[in-house]
Amino acid sequence: MPRFLHTADWQIGRYFNRFDTDNSSALADARYGAIERLAQLAVEHNCDAVLVAGDVFDAQAVSDRCIRRTFNATSGFKGPWVMLPGNHDAALAESVWTRARRINAVPNNVHLALQSGVIELPQQKIAVLAAPLTQRHTYDDLTAPFDSISTPPQWLRVGLAHGSVQGVLAEDIDATNPIAADRSASAALDYLALGDWHGLKQINERTWYSGTPEPERFRNNQPGFALLVTVSEPGALPEVEALETARYHWHQWQEKLVVETDIDELLKRLDELPESSVLDLKLEGSITLADEQRLADALSRAEARYRSVTYDRSRLLLAPTEEDLAGLQASGYVGDVLEQLQTRQSGAEAQTARDALAILANLLLEAREEKHP
Amino acid sequence: MKLESVRVEQFKQFRKPFLLNGLSNGINVISGPNEAGKSTLVRAIRAAFFERHRSKSAEDLRPWGDSSAAPAIELVFHHNGQNWQLNKSFLQRKRCDLSIQGTTYSGEEAEEKLAQLLGYQFPKKGASKEEHWGIPGLLWVEQGSGQNIEQAVVHAGDHLQSALNSLVSEVASEGGDGLIHTVRQQLGELLTAGGAPRGEYKQLLADELPGQQELDVLKGRIDQYQNQVDRLAKVAREFHKIDREQPWIKVRQALAEAQECYRHIESLQGQQQTLNQALISVQQRAALLQRNKQQVQADGKQLQQREQEHNTAQQALNDVQASAAGLHAALEQCQSQYRDALEVERQAGLLETRQRLDHSSVRAKTQLQQLSERKSRAVELQQALGESRMLTARHQISIAAVDQLRTTQRQLDDTRLRSQAIATRIEWQLEAGQQIELGQDTLPHQGEQLLLSSTRLRIAGVGEFTITPGGDDLARCQRQLEQLQLGLGEQLMTLGVADLAAAEQTLVAQERAQADVHRLLELLQSLVPGGLASLDSDSQALNAELERNYAEKKALAPATTLAQGLPAQAQAQDLRSNAENRLSAAEKRSSEHEKALLAASHRYQNADHEWRTLRTSLNSEQRQQEVIQLDSDLTAVEQEQARQQERLTEMLAQIAAARPELVQQDIQRLGASADQLEQAQRGRELELKELRARLEIWGAEGLEGQRGRCQAELEQNRRRCQQLQRRAEALELLLELLTEKRQALTQRLQAPLQRHLNHYVTVLFPDAQLEVDSQLLPGRFTRNGETGQMAELSFGAREQMGLISRLAYADLLKEAGKPTLIILDDSLVHSDSGRLDSMKRILFDAAQRHQILLFTCHPDNWLDMGSETINLEALKARALL
Repeated sequence: MPRFLHTADWQIGRYFNRFDTDNSSALADARYGAIERLAQLAVEHNCDAVLVAGDVFDAQAVSDRCIRRTFNATSGFKGPWVMLPGNHDAALAESVWTRARRINAVPNNVHLALQSGVIELPQQKIAVLAAPLTQRHTYDDLTAPFDSISTPPQWLRVGLAHGSVQGVLAEDIDATNPIAADRSASAALDYLALGDWHGLKQINERTWYSGTPEPERFRNNQPGFALLVTVSEPGALPEVEALETARYHWHQWQEKLVVETDIDELLKRLDELPESSVLDLKLEGSITLADEQRLADALSRAEARYRSVTYDRSRLLLAPTEEDLAGLQASGYVGDVLEQLQTRQSGAEAQTARDALAILANLLLEAREEKHP
Repeated sequence: MKLESVRVEQFKQFRKPFLLNGLSNGINVISGPNEAGKSTLVRAIRAAFFERHRSKSAEDLRPWGDSSAAPAIELVFHHNGQNWQLNKSFLQRKRCDLSIQGTTYSGEEAEEKLAQLLGYQFPKKGASKEEHWGIPGLLWVEQGSGQNIEQAVVHAGDHLQSALNSLVSEVASEGGDGLIHTVRQQLGELLTAGGAPRGEYKQLLADELPGQQELDVLKGRIDQYQNQVDRLAKVAREFHKIDREQPWIKVRQALAEAQECYRHIESLQGQQQTLNQALISVQQRAALLQRNKQQVQADGKQLQQREQEHNTAQQALNDVQASAAGLHAALEQCQSQYRDALEVERQAGLLETRQRLDHSSVRAKTQLQQLSERKSRAVELQQALGESRMLTARHQISIAAVDQLRTTQRQLDDTRLRSQAIATRIEWQLEAGQQIELGQDTLPHQGEQLLLSSTRLRIAGVGEFTITPGGDDLARCQRQLEQLQLGLGEQLMTLGVADLAAAEQTLVAQERAQADVHRLLELLQSLVPGGLASLDSDSQALNAELERNYAEKKALAPATTLAQGLPAQAQAQDLRSNAENRLSAAEKRSSEHEKALLAASHRYQNADHEWRTLRTSLNSEQRQQEVIQLDSDLTAVEQEQARQQERLTEMLAQIAAARPELVQQDIQRLGASADQLEQAQRGRELELKELRARLEIWGAEGLEGQRGRCQAELEQNRRRCQQLQRRAEALELLLELLTEKRQALTQRLQAPLQRHLNHYVTVLFPDAQLEVDSQLLPGRFTRNGETGQMAELSFGAREQMGLISRLAYADLLKEAGKPTLIILDDSLVHSDSGRLDSMKRILFDAAQRHQILLFTCHPDNWLDMGSETINLEALKARALL
């Protein structure tokens, strides 16, 4: 019973500019880890092959080390791997692929589908119909030739392509590299493995996007999976199972703090996340000085515990209570300033006023600490 | 606050107890000369408050040389209706006791109470310094420091602030200034004073551009890389297409055809070459024959020419021979004429010689006659000369001797006159019959006589008198007279004359005879310069000449043989010369003719010979046949030449029709095309290799990886930069608000101080204004429309303003319920009398509200302060009693 693993969009060599160097390199490293897990899954599930539907590399001119690490990471699975060039790593006259071959980084069991046509895996009786991108962008449906390609009878006929299925994905997805929605039918494919869409997505019974195996953005469209595809015999409907591959989980929270319990709720959730989290927090509303202190403590803890925590408090107003103010012991004109900054938080330079208020509050607290340690 | 009394003991110069009491509420003028103890009292008050009783630095309070002393001070004062008494002693007995309305405090507690009351601090260790003095530092003015108010205000700052806070409703911020300081410091870490970024912020901003540039460079290179990849694809496509088609093969075939065609043309050109050469050789032969023919024709012409030359020569010879007879006759005539002229010339010469001899003889005879006359005259002159010379010899006398004589004579005369003048004169008149003898002489009866020497006078019948003339002079004169007479006699004898007149006469005669000799000598010289002897030799010479002439004339032919009418000799010479010239010309012509005749004869013989030889040669049989053969050969050659020319023309037309230049261009074009096509393909191959090699290198750099890293760094930098910017903005806002609020508060504090200041300033300067700045310091000073800082005023004015400010502070403190005691140690010594009067009014006004202790060594200045002056000297004297 033929069975293979469908994955795509590894995007090796990607940089994560929004994070600091430490987190950025950890996240980049995690992408190699994903390949190792794929190999491991392929072994665990007795797969016949691993099909990678494009964008193995994030760019053409990645370092040699990147290339070698990528292919080294496949070593766990000794069966055939079929890799398809996508729009990020198109099979140009000179490409990351030609370079990989030149530096002898490609193991024998890895098949590079650099030309449109069939890659035959005779042992597994699988014919992979490949539609690689040989230009960075194309406006033709590269899977069209599948309709007229014949494959050995009684072999599995599996399409491998990279692009946008027409009329299914959101409008704002780039219209280049189109793929006909009914290609699996018109080309009589048992399964059409697609890449380019980074989330897990089923197009029809025989057509799937596996998504990227390791999330790399906050968009919540089910990234972090590989598809285990089992076809009982040629022509049978494929059985598709999503296997989780993600090392890190990306969360983006937008929280509005209005009532006192909101902050409690937020802090609770913040404490409950798994350690492998990448969190981005956008806060708005208002917060007392005491709660602000709690929030700062919680964020500090989270930063230490999770892979990455970034937050935006620019829309969160500081609203010191009477108690807060009494605690600050801001007498005389300093008290005036405190009050004025508080009201200015909703004015033209709200951000600056908020920052100034926070600085002032901190200075006053420090002064109080010094006086009454 | 009112100070009641000050008591000191064992304190500096006050070894014995000294009490200053009875101080009044208002102003107290305490006077005393220098060293009377004014400053010591001030020091005592200061020490009582400022120095800790345990202080080790109170050594200066001890009386000089008294190491066992325990300086002690007792102060009694009232404040807020309470009685305060402070007893403080130092060094040997360290104690401090304070009693407030019966409640007693001691030690440090007592000291803290005082500090709190007056508003000052104690030093942590060591002596109390200016910065610790607080409000008393402001109100207790030390000698000579009244003008320095800034530091005092600063040191009093906190105490003033807290004292004044009670005056304004607003509560000043506790630690507000510290906060401002911190915010400013934190902002200073980000921005310079001018608001420019600094430190890390500046570095981040500075790094952004290079970062962006690096990124741009990388992006540029990536673009280049991608372009090269595209180029690689394009070139590879072209290469494979051309490699399949091999278009140069077809071109090379066409080239081979064109080359074949050109080889054919080349063979035609070879044939044309052969024809050309044949034609040239025929042409050469024709030219040779032609030249021969021309030679024959030339020979004929030459014969004619030679005949003509022969005739011409014969004619010329005849002409020359014909002119020979005429020339000969002319020659003979010339020769005869010449001989005649020669004879005439000889005879003319003879005639002229004879005439010359005659003339010479006549002249010689005449000269002989003249010589004879001159000789006789010369003899006469010679005779006269002899006579004159005789005469001269006779009257020989020396002119010098005569002059000497004259002098002697004159001296003698003079001496004689003088002797007579001094001689004794005797005049007498004898009576008749009487006789006198004088000396040897008997005197006549009447006369006079001069006596020059002792003379005996004997009068007969009477006796003898000896008369002796008196004096030396007469005797000397007499001696001189005798000498001169003796000299004169000698001179006359020498000259041989009787007297001077004779000598003079002889001298005149001598001079006349000498003149005659001279004249005669000159005459003789002019008549016969050479002397008489020369006259004789001249006559001998003339006689010889006459004899010679005679002999010569006799030798000449006699005059009768000469022809008549002979021309002069010169004319005869001219005629002969002309005849000679003519003869020469005739001879020359004759000789030239002779030569011409010879030449003409020669020419004729040559011409005749040449003409005859040529004629014989040309007219020979062989020669005639050669000419005929030549004509026939010439005709044959010309026909051959025309034939060859025709064949050649035909060949050239054939070659031109084949268009060799076009065929050649074809070969060039096709060859180049084939080469170019192959070369282009090789170029592609090379470019492919190069592109692959380059891309290989570039690819190995991992450019996009680098770009990713670079971009990440840049963005991180930017994020950090934004954070710092936000922080800087926030700090700026905070600082702005804090300083603004503080300013507002300060202004509220300034107002009452300003009010008090104005109160005093207008007493001193009616229209002036002294403004209080944000530090509560007197600052801008305006007077008569001019504005300046207080620090710019004169020393005296600054001292006055300083005092005014202090009084204003005192008023303010008083309003705030704080104790105010004002101590002035010799203040206002720099003020003029007018200002001092104003200041007195001010002080008196202030004294209505404050107790003022005014120490001075000029009590006279302060007599009009409305209070009794306390005299320290008097007090001390009383204490001793």
